[in-house]
Amino acid sequence: MVNPLTFVFRPKVTEKFDFADSELEEIGSTLKKEIHHTLGRSLALRELDTGSDNSTEIELNNLSAPHYDISRFGISFAASPRHADALIVTGAVTHNMAQAVKKTYEAMPSPKYVIAVGDDACDGGIFKDSYAVLGGVDKILPVDMKIPGNPPSPREILKGLLAFMRQGSR
Amino acid sequence: MKINTEKEQTMEGKQNTEGMKEKKGMTASEYITGLLRDISKEPQIKNGKNGELYIPLPEKEFQETVPVLDREEFILLGLFCVQDFEGENEEKGENEEGGEKGENEENEEKGGKGGKGEKDKAEAPAFTLFYAFRKRGFSEVFVFLHPVKTEASSIAKTFPSACWYEREIRDGFGLDFPDAFDKRRLFLHEAYPEGFHPLLKSFENGKIRTIENPQENYPFKRLEGEGVYQIPVGPVHAGIIEPGHFRFSVIGEPIFNLEIRMFYKHRGIEKLAEGKPPAACLPIAEAISGDESAANSVAFCTAVEKLAGLRVPERAEYLRAVLLELERIHSHLGDLAGMATDVGFPRITSPFLILREEIFRQNDVLTGSRFLKGAVDIGGMKQDIPDKLLEKLASYLENFEGRFEKAFRTAMSSSSLIDRFSTSGVIKKKLITPLNLTGPIARASGAAYDVRTTHPYGIYGKIPPERKVLSTGDVLSRFEVKAAEVRASRALIRKLVLEIPAGPVLCPPPVAGIRDGFALSMVEAPRGQTLHWVYVKNGLVDRYKVRTASFCNWKAVEHAVLDNIVPDFPLINKSLNLSYAGTDL
Repeated sequence: MVNPLTFVFRPKVTEKFDFADSELEEIGSTLKKEIHHTLGRSLALRELDTGSDNSTEIELNNLSAPHYDISRFGISFAASPRHADALIVTGAVTHNMAQAVKKTYEAMPSPKYVIAVGDDACDGGIFKDSYAVLGGVDKILPVDMKIPGNPPSPREILKGLLAFMRQGSR
Repeated sequence: MKINTEKEQTMEGKQNTEGMKEKKGMTASEYITGLLRDISKEPQIKNGKNGELYIPLPEKEFQETVPVLDREEFILLGLFCVQDFEGENEEKGENEEGGEKGENEENEEKGGKGGKGEKDKAEAPAFTLFYAFRKRGFSEVFVFLHPVKTEASSIAKTFPSACWYEREIRDGFGLDFPDAFDKRRLFLHEAYPEGFHPLLKSFENGKIRTIENPQENYPFKRLEGEGVYQIPVGPVHAGIIEPGHFRFSVIGEPIFNLEIRMFYKHRGIEKLAEGKPPAACLPIAEAISGDESAANSVAFCTAVEKLAGLRVPERAEYLRAVLLELERIHSHLGDLAGMATDVGFPRITSPFLILREEIFRQNDVLTGSRFLKGAVDIGGMKQDIPDKLLEKLASYLENFEGRFEKAFRTAMSSSSLIDRFSTSGVIKKKLITPLNLTGPIARASGAAYDVRTTHPYGIYGKIPPERKVLSTGDVLSRFEVKAAEVRASRALIRKLVLEIPAGPVLCPPPVAGIRDGFALSMVEAPRGQTLHWVYVKNGLVDRYKVRTASFCNWKAVEHAVLDNIVPDFPLINKSLNLSYAGTDL
């Protein structure tokens, strides 16, 4: 019979990821405290793309990649708006998405928040005057926080989330 | 008559297409004249500014040409409409280049002299349809110009990929295709009122009145029978991904039919460019698809440079290629990671994601943008990248190599991963030509085509990439081809960094500015062949047509999923990695 202790003491299957970023850790731990203080335990985000150029989605996905791994800080991305505290909206809101945006927001439980991420989501960006968009997210939903950038880097998004949480605790 | 019967692979294996044609003793122009011998006595073939050929054909001759093109296996690259197209402007532009002074008199004189130009203009039909084709064995793109008034005949029965283009033209211009088999609207969804056609010159871009709370009434294909049911998915998906609608018809688990509905992200990119000076359109080109911003900005700039006769300095061509290959690496790394994620394998995903983040950081160091935005400029590069940084990049890529190989080996030594990848989502080779599938997904299905070698641009004529072609066409082949392309791009960047010459990176702008002209350019983006056509009139962009690889490649997913089970759909979709933004424009 295999001694079960060998499972405990054998080398780990995954290799060590040596990566130190004190600034990121600092933002992350503060964020974690703020989330704990305001929401109790964790912050569940739901992402909604209303017409971005897809780079913002990539940066949001990168938040879960090993360099950032934001689940450590109590942040998760929910698969449904029904499980979300806040809606992250990327891109200027197109006419073709307007209806879906409303439905997604309505599906969220209250209290609910909206965070616009990226220049286009903040105010329509370069698409502001196009026939095909309503403009920034605030044209259709109440926006609680704007994180500008083309696209904002993962670090900037984290800083934005921190600002959002601080705003919420006030 | 038929001048080449060689297989694409051997034809395109040759880097020097010039030499090839000499051997054949026939230029593209002679070839097309011969081909149309029985249809058009003297076709007015015009050489485009970027090596493309423009062949105007009136209605009757056009009708007769379509079956010939089909017989000769021409591949439809794009079909787009231009309102009030004045081919004459091309000559006018040249005159202006000759002498800035008194250009008005010159033009008037020209008009008065022949009187023909004016007459033509008065009678000219409102719209010109541009049918861009390629033919194996030629590096030139053949563009047939077909003047039309209020309606045109559909070619979708002969060239199936024309279906979306024709629907797009109907939405944009209100031009009718009475014999088309699909007349549904494409990029204008229910919110847009009937009769609204944004690309008409009579519509000035600005806010419009849309329909409030529109009811969805898009008629999907209905498949009926015992046990057939539909699964609607989207536009909002569960993950952090772009919006689109998938309508599955399934019998149990296996997918019986899939119909996709796109264009939820339609932002009006083409109209937005109109009326702006070319330089102001660069941020628009970069926003077409964020993870392909280098490819799209290079394609746009190349078109403008060609139409204006600008010569990009050699150093800038090298730098552009470095950025294009970095973009390919980060895009493919994302796909390799994503495919492993979609079979629930974070142990394999993570190493690829670590490398990808490092590439994003390299991008940031080199250009100040993780997505290489704002680096390319009309005439070259906005800023030089110092040799020191390039050397650092090269030494980083040395370090990258071993870690990448290790990550790849780990993936390929997992039997459960191979089990999921192998035989899933097969794209048959016979679909490649009719749908114009390009990029790594076509190279995984046996097609050697690559814009970089078949229609070389920039530095690729001199330094071609290595290619990997597999024939199975399943998820596993796409995984392997993308991994091979990461290796090839890495090797190419090292070569570029070794050979890069010193010198300026931006050519001086033309004295008179960029005035008139049009040109077509193609770039091999990470997802495949990307086509841009720019028409500048009086210094402003009059029409900007973009067709990214995804626009064509999206059709492949409808075929690839057939007989696969629904849970494999995310994996198949990820292995194709199609851009929604790049399609919806």
